[in-house]
Amino acid sequence: MSEAAGVVTIEWPQLLLAAGFMVVVGVISLRLALGLERDLALATARTYVQLFVLGLVLRWMFGIDSPWLVLAILVLMVAAAARTIVRRAPDAPKGMLGSSFVSMALTGFIVTFAVTGLVVQVEPWYRAQYVVPIAGMVLGNSMNGIALALERTFADLDARADELLALVALGASPWEAAAPSVRTALTAALIPTINSMAAAGVVFIPGMMTGQILAGADPMKASAYQIVVMLMVSAATALGSVLAVLLTYHRRFSASGVFIERGLRDDIATARAEE
Amino acid sequence: MTAPLLEARGLRVTRIGDAGPLKVLDGADFTLERGEVVDVLGPSGSGKTTLLRALAWMLPDAEGELWLDGSAAAEIGARVWRTRVALAPQRTALFPGTVADNLLAPWRLKVRHDAAGPDSGALRRALDSVGLDDVALDRDAAKLSVGQAARVALVRVGLTRPDVLLLDEPDASLDGDSAAQVASAVARFAETGAVVRVRHQRPDGTATRRERLVAGRIHGVGDCE
Repeated sequence: MSEAAGVVTIEWPQLLLAAGFMVVVGVISLRLALGLERDLALATARTYVQLFVLGLVLRWMFGIDSPWLVLAILVLMVAAAARTIVRRAPDAPKGMLGSSFVSMALTGFIVTFAVTGLVVQVEPWYRAQYVVPIAGMVLGNSMNGIALALERTFADLDARADELLALVALGASPWEAAAPSVRTALTAALIPTINSMAAAGVVFIPGMMTGQILAGADPMKASAYQIVVMLMVSAATALGSVLAVLLTYHRRFSASGVFIERGLRDDIATARAEE
Repeated sequence: MTAPLLEARGLRVTRIGDAGPLKVLDGADFTLERGEVVDVLGPSGSGKTTLLRALAWMLPDAEGELWLDGSAAAEIGARVWRTRVALAPQRTALFPGTVADNLLAPWRLKVRHDAAGPDSGALRRALDSVGLDDVALDRDAAKLSVGQAARVALVRVGLTRPDVLLLDEPDASLDGDSAAQVASAVARFAETGAVVRVRHQRPDGTATRRERLVAGRIHGVGDCE
């Protein structure tokens, strides 16, 4: 790929021009009393700072070229994603950080290195220029899928509390009782992925392909990359969501298989704390 | 001396109330013989529902011992226990699907994988016996009235032929005629098993014994015969 060929470098004046449009939005927010000016300013500033820092970090990493550094960064990314997942599902049972981390790490690592090692055939296998951005895409997408799947699972279990009581009373196992909620949640988590695969190239040009084309790559080559990444990211989202839900749903059930409904949670938490 | 059908000893359950920890069950003992229909009385919040859930091994934090036909609960296992000491919860919960789907749901569970479910003739007779003659087996369960749904849920658990039926307010949402039909179904069930009911309504002549739950313990009110 001749990346350098057609790249138009963005300089400070252009960067500031982009912020100019945000000023327009800010003025509109003021006139319509939306109260979003502060958030807009802060978000704009964060975009500048975070992406520049990311650029610096990536440049530094590409220079060092160490497998350990790449792996350490991946672990950090997984940990940050797992924390985000836990924060987005406030109703989920305690102790979910571990299972979120395991699901993200397993699917994220396997899929990332499948792309870089088997498809792109990066030499050496840990080349940060390929591994880190692809891991970012894989982890970012599966994080959203996992968070959605977990949030939906536990929300649906709570909504079905009466049904779960009746099912367990008839002799259902936790899996038999929870399965409809798990199915609902996984379907909900996978629909955005399936939709974006179905709409890719027709409704929108995916971000990675856009970036490559802007950087001067041949559109056919960019398509091939985008296909690989899109399928792998979808697979990671699906596998990560399934794994995360299967590792966690039973935490809402007692050792004897009873669903711990909302009204019982505080009492049981207190009883366990006193033991 | 033969062991009682169901025996509970030293049931304890603590709940966090507005005024601190509250002993809902405080060492409650309970015995049930085959053929009995026992009504548990007591004001709202006295722990009647908690007692039924504890007897069904459906309260994760309940302490105490349970026996069925002389076997300790731990020997029987929680899931099998619940098929033999079956709770019909107060709030009716029918599953998505038809009335027949609901009545056959227990046989789709692994715990009954080697048992054959009732045929449609048996389902029909069971519905008729509680005054649901006008409810078709293929009716969408979501379209039943509150009282019809409550009776379908009772039929669903009754068809599984447990040893003990634990009924939490079985006639709270029923009119007089339907309640009477449910009461006679309860009496027929007790010919081979035993029933514990939590009720607020006036005595309906079905109970063979009444117990009152006071301060977390069970006190006999006396035989009704």
